[in-house]
Amino acid sequence: MAAQPKPLPLEPRNYLKGGGLIGWLTTVDHKRVAVLYGVTALFLLGIGGLEALVMRLQLWEPNNHLISAHFYNEMFTMHGTTMIFLVLMPLELGFFTNFVMPLQIGARDVAFPRLNALSFWIFLVGAVLMHLSWIWGGFPNRGWFGYANLTESYYSPGLNIDFWDISLLILGVSTLLTAINFFVTMVMMRAKGMSYMRMTLFCWAMLVTVILVLLAFPALTVGLLFLLLDRFFGTHFYIAAYGATPILWQHLFWLFGHPEVYILALPSFGIISEIVPVFSRKPLFGYPMMVYSIILIGFLSYGVWGHHMFATGMGPVADSAFAITSMLIAIPTGIKIFSWIATVWGGSLRMKTAFYFALAMIVEFTIGGLSGIMHASAPVDLQQTDSYFVVAHFHYVLFGGVMFALLGAIYYWWPKVTGKMLSEKLGKWQFWLTIIGFNGTFFPMHWLGTWGMPRRVYTYGAGLGWTGLNQFETVCAFILGFSFLLMYINLVLSTARGEDAPADPWDGRTLEWAVSSPPPEYNFANPVEVEGRDAYWLMKYGRGGAREAQMFAEGKIPPVPQNMQAPPEKPIHVPTPSIFPLLIAGCLFMVAIGLLIGWWRIMEIGGGTMFICIVGMCLEYPKWGEKSHNLDEEAPHSLGIDLRKAGLWTFLGSECVFFASLIATYVVYKSRNFGGPGASILEIPLTSGSTFALLMSSLMMVLALHSIEQGRVKWMRFWLVCTMALGCVFLGVEAFEFLGFFQKGLAMQTDLFGQCFYTLVGTHGVHVTIGVIWLGSILASSFRKNFGKSKALSVEMVGLYWHFVDIVWVVIFTLVYLMQQVKGA
Amino acid sequence: MSEITQVIETGPFEEHPAHPGAGAYVIVAVALCILTALEVTVAYLPALRPVMIPVLIILAIAKFALIAMFFMHLHYDSRLLSTFFLGGLLAAFVLFIALLFLFVYLDRHRAIIM
Ligand code: HEM
Ligand SMILES: [Cu+2]
Repeated sequence: MAAQPKPLPLEPRNYLKGGGLIGWLTTVDHKRVAVLYGVTALFLLGIGGLEALVMRLQLWEPNNHLISAHFYNEMFTMHGTTMIFLVLMPLELGFFTNFVMPLQIGARDVAFPRLNALSFWIFLVGAVLMHLSWIWGGFPNRGWFGYANLTESYYSPGLNIDFWDISLLILGVSTLLTAINFFVTMVMMRAKGMSYMRMTLFCWAMLVTVILVLLAFPALTVGLLFLLLDRFFGTHFYIAAYGATPILWQHLFWLFGHPEVYILALPSFGIISEIVPVFSRKPLFGYPMMVYSIILIGFLSYGVWGHHMFATGMGPVADSAFAITSMLIAIPTGIKIFSWIATVWGGSLRMKTAFYFALAMIVEFTIGGLSGIMHASAPVDLQQTDSYFVVAHFHYVLFGGVMFALLGAIYYWWPKVTGKMLSEKLGKWQFWLTIIGFNGTFFPMHWLGTWGMPRRVYTYGAGLGWTGLNQFETVCAFILGFSFLLMYINLVLSTARGEDAPADPWDGRTLEWAVSSPPPEYNFANPVEVEGRDAYWLMKYGRGGAREAQMFAEGKIPPVPQNMQAPPEKPIHVPTPSIFPLLIAGCLFMVAIGLLIGWWRIMEIGGGTMFICIVGMCLEYPKWGEKSHNLDEEAPHSLGIDLRKAGLWTFLGSECVFFASLIATYVVYKSRNFGGPGASILEIPLTSGSTFALLMSSLMMVLALHSIEQGRVKWMRFWLVCTMALGCVFLGVEAFEFLGFFQKGLAMQTDLFGQCFYTLVGTHGVHVTIGVIWLGSILASSFRKNFGKSKALSVEMVGLYWHFVDIVWVVIFTLVYLMQQVKGA
Repeated sequence: MSEITQVIETGPFEEHPAHPGAGAYVIVAVALCILTALEVTVAYLPALRPVMIPVLIILAIAKFALIAMFFMHLHYDSRLLSTFFLGGLLAAFVLFIALLFLFVYLDRHRAIIM
């Protein structure tokens, strides 16, 4: 089973060729994974678009009853959820970043190729589950933001919100894995000579984007976890009757939600910053400012979530703070817009479809940004919130900004992905129809909104004067739909029998154009060295510009330089395909569906098999990512740090945010105990004991690492067993403590204190349990033959996780137990 | 003899700038125990009640730092890894404080309305 990566044949093989169906199902090549994402997301884009057209038909005339109000709710929920989580994110992260980023930084693949495949299959599970609820009584219908307490069982008794909740959790896992993967790739695997300030702006945008993912998604995870507990176990995280504050959901959701809109927007800024210089034949204006403004946007976007909540009565201080931060975001955004314009200014423009879309994006996005600044002012927002004005705003940013950039990206990179040029003629037709359809559909919404037409409304009265504009919008929406049909036709026809694409059709500036279209399986035959920004431009033209001017005068694009075409000097190891990502995702599907419809047997089978598959995946490549793996060549910027270790640390950074959200909720809710015994029930002596056990287990853990680093496997086993034993003591005491509390009448459902206590401490307990299992598998694998010093990293990894769990306990012990003394007496 | 084989086994890759020895680990563990004992004592001493919260926080931070720096080797490993972790930690901290402020504020606000 433990297949060694085998050297590739030396002549380049187009990554699309060979392998058959099995090849695609087991692929770990970032380019193939990207294509899987792309095809899935483009399909879902069609579905999301049809849902929108259904809504537009329903709004055609006043008092219309074409579809039921219930179905209308399902449509706008599925439309929003699909477009954001199943179309824009996978197109940006899964498709374009996956495909282009490793090429642009000169890498052969991402840091964790199998994890990449796993992300895709998990994404697919989430996407399918989201739609499956239809079989069990209907689609999710509480909006993409799923405001509590409308999502509670009392108001939404069906299974659909359960499906929504669990699908989003699953999609979150997929996104998190992708983010860790890309983060490590961009930080460590850039080619020699590619310093941060030589990275392409697309990569910069993605670097900040994945950091946002890492720091924002945990808040959503926690919010969804609470909802899950409410719905499945009868807690009351969002039920005011039990003293809870339903607004908590909005805080957690928008804490994720606003960074999320920049998770969507930043990649599109990156795309535009690639397309504009290429078609203007000028380097990007103000590169450093562009980089700083991306960083600043990322930073600010984390502190503005409250602008979605002005109407909830946060009070003047909070309102003002959020209004100010929101308006500040306009500054770096403005810088970007000026930079793009300055790049175009005075350039020798080539008016290709990709460039059309890029230019249009700059205009449409600016309109959306301006309406954003309008309702960043709290009093203005009170007029505009939940009206069609907001619908206009976010379609101008999400469609006019993000979707236009993606359309540009499709026309720009499709030749690289498929090796076929898209039809420019169809492209221009699509462009103009999109412009007409998009502006016609969404611009009048500004008026409708200010006239009072509420958002998410099923139908409207005849005498309100809204009919004409609504009909106009519906017509335009169909024009827009038609323009997308043209795109699909273009994609299919051109890919089937279009003109072959040269390696460098646009006279590109970045490294992806230095390899053939489609690229060879291993991307680069020989390790790349980069000499400056616009790396490929420098390779083609050198510095100075004389050759550039000459070629331009002759109207020629220089051929790919010799050294980029040279055959590989050394055999190349590409990661071997693996079936485990697909299997794990399949098992996850079984677990999720079993949980949702209460089919416990399938859940057990799925869970068991999944465990086996995860272990299988870990054992599959004993060598992958270890020191013997050639870090110097594959990851020139790794500073000798193993990629897996970097990945784990990244994950731990993200876990901090997860626990912070849990702990904050505990602190907010703990004193709101009606009827239950409250926090005075906590016993410090008992927990001091278990704290001691956990601390000592950490000592045992480092001793185990120490032993294996010295090559003493037997000692390592001894210390590992001690670590596990102490971990079990900790868990035992916890179980004993929980039992005692139950007997004293504190259940999870008793009061807010009970639910927060059990959730926080229990989640930590789950982490400890995972740690024990992980330790156990390391212990088991230490009996394999070649286990020795070279495996120290596996022990170090589990150790890092174990100590992290210990650290979290240090915080919990202080905040939950010890500080209780302060108020308790 | 055994030492020679070890060298061969590791090959030219020596990743860690030398992790500390077992002795150092034990010292850290002892420090952790002492700190924990202090924490519990502080929590039970009525005289310390006014300063209890800051003292407990400082003690917890000390434990946190000891584990992260020595057991998790941040002190020895590349700065890069510390950056990854501290970045997450900082975001977590800001989020925690922001949520507390918002809710405390919200509670007061609500009390006035009601
Ligand atoms: C200058 C920058 C921006 C500002 C000041 C801004 C401000 C706002 C405000 C205040 C709202 C809340 C409106 C309400 O519900 O009453 C809002 C909603 C929204 N914004 Fe923006 N925005 C900006 C840019 C963006 C960008 C770049 C995107 C996405 C790419 C975006 C996506 C959204 C979405 C999706 C909503 C609606 C969320 C919902 O309620 O479902 N915004 N924006
Ligand atoms: Cu926002």
